[in-house]
Amino acid sequence: MFLFIVKRLNFLKSIPLFALVFDSLIKMWMLIAKPERLDQIDEIEREVLKWKNTSVSLHKFGGTQFNYKKIEFAHIHSNGILDILFLRKIKSELMLEGKIKEHHVFKKSGWISFNVQHIEDVNYALYLLKRSYEIGSDK
Amino acid sequence: MKTFLQSKLLQGIIVSNVIILIVIWLNNLFHSEKDGILIYSEFVILPLLMGVISAWFWRSLNLKSRSIIWYSILDGFLAIVLSYIFLGEGTICLIIVSPLIFAFVITGAFIGKAMFRKNNQTLNVSIVSILLVVFTVDSVSDHHYRNMVSDEIVINATPETIWKHVVSFDKIKRANTYWLFKVGMPSPMQTTVTAYRKGAGRKCIFSNGYVFDEKIVTFDINKDLTFDIIGQPKDPEIMGHIDIERGQFLLKDNGNGTTTLVGNSWYSLKVFPIWYYDLWAESITRNVHLRVMEHIKEISEQN
Repeated sequence: MFLFIVKRLNFLKSIPLFALVFDSLIKMWMLIAKPERLDQIDEIEREVLKWKNTSVSLHKFGGTQFNYKKIEFAHIHSNGILDILFLRKIKSELMLEGKIKEHHVFKKSGWISFNVQHIEDVNYALYLLKRSYEIGSDK
Repeated sequence: MKTFLQSKLLQGIIVSNVIILIVIWLNNLFHSEKDGILIYSEFVILPLLMGVISAWFWRSLNLKSRSIIWYSILDGFLAIVLSYIFLGEGTICLIIVSPLIFAFVITGAFIGKAMFRKNNQTLNVSIVSILLVVFTVDSVSDHHYRNMVSDEIVINATPETIWKHVVSFDKIKRANTYWLFKVGMPSPMQTTVTAYRKGAGRKCIFSNGYVFDEKIVTFDINKDLTFDIIGQPKDPEIMGHIDIERGQFLLKDNGNGTTTLVGNSWYSLKVFPIWYYDLWAESITRNVHLRVMEHIKEISEQN
C-alpha cells in the first residue's frame, strides 16, 4: 500500500498536508497491527537526539526527519521504512552487508532504505544513522 | 484516576474541545452558513488545531507515539460526542465523519509535538496564523457542490412490463446488504403515486417512515420517468447534509426481450471537503439506486 502510493500516486504529495495525514493513517494502522513498531521508532528518535547538534522535525513526505545542524540526513516513515543519505561509495559498501536496499524512490542516489521490522533491527538502524551522522559531523 | 483527572493529559483534551466549540459557536454567530452547510475548515482545520492545542498541554509529558495516538483518538471521540450533544448530529453522520476527525487530530498532535519540541516561536505563530487565515477565508466563502450519480442494470423483461413498477412499487421485503443500511441508515422501502401522468405527486417512503415528496416532471411512457424532489425530511443524519434534487429512470429497449434500466439522481452536498464526503454521497446514492432497481428487476422478471 505504502509503496503503491509512493510510486503510483506520488503526485498527491504536492497537496498540502496530504503526506502528513497519510502518515497519521499509517500510525493508526500500526497502532492496531504492530504497536511495537511505533515504540521502535520512538527509541530510534530518542537515541539520535542524544547525539550532538541533532534535531528531529516532521518530514515533508510524512514521518520523522533527522537533522544534523538543521540539515536532513535521514528520515523514518511510520511504517518503519528508514531512509538515510550516504556518500555513494559508502552506500555501495553497505549494500554488500545485504541488509539495506536502494532507496524506495531515488534508486540512483546516495539514499538507502532499511526496513525496521523487529526490535533487533533498531540496533542496525542506529548503526546506519550513526555512520551517516559521523560523515556529516566530520565534514 | 484522580491523577488523570488533574493531569495535563486531560487538560489537553478538555481545553482543545472547549476552544473548538467556542470557535464553531463564534463562526456560526458571525458567518452563519445558509442551510446548515458544514465547511471544509470544520472537518480539517479545527481538528488539526485541536491536535496542536492538545500537544501544547502534553509537551512536557514526553509521551510515546502510541500514547499520543490513543489520547488523540480520545480527544476526537470527545469532539464527536459533543457534536452529537450540541450540534445535534446523527449517529450515522458521526460514523462517517469520525475517520476524518481522528486522522486530522492525530496529524495536529504530531505537528504540535514538533512545534513545541523546541521554542520555535516563528514556526508556532506562522502555522497557527495560516490555519486561522484558512479557516476565516473558508468560513466567509460560498460553498456549492452538485453531482449526478448514474447506475444501470439489465432486466429480462420488456419496457412495458417494467414501466408500471418504475412509477410505483410495493414494499421492498428483501434484506439490506449495504452496511450503512444495516447499521441504521434509512433505506428506500416503497413508492406511491397520486396519478400516472406528468405533474402527479409521488412519494418515496424510507424504512424509518421518512417521506420524500416528489413531483413527476417527465412522464414519457415506457421510456422516461423524471421527478423533482419537492420536500425531503430534515433528519440529523446524512439526510440533513445532502439535498436530493431530482431523480430519473430511463428505460432502453435492447430489442432482445431485455431492457436496460438507468437510474439517475442529482444532488447537492452541504458538507465539505468534497473529496471526502462525495465518496460517501456517491456510495449511498448508488446503494439507494441499486436497492430500488434490483427490486424493480425482481418483480418485473416475476411477471
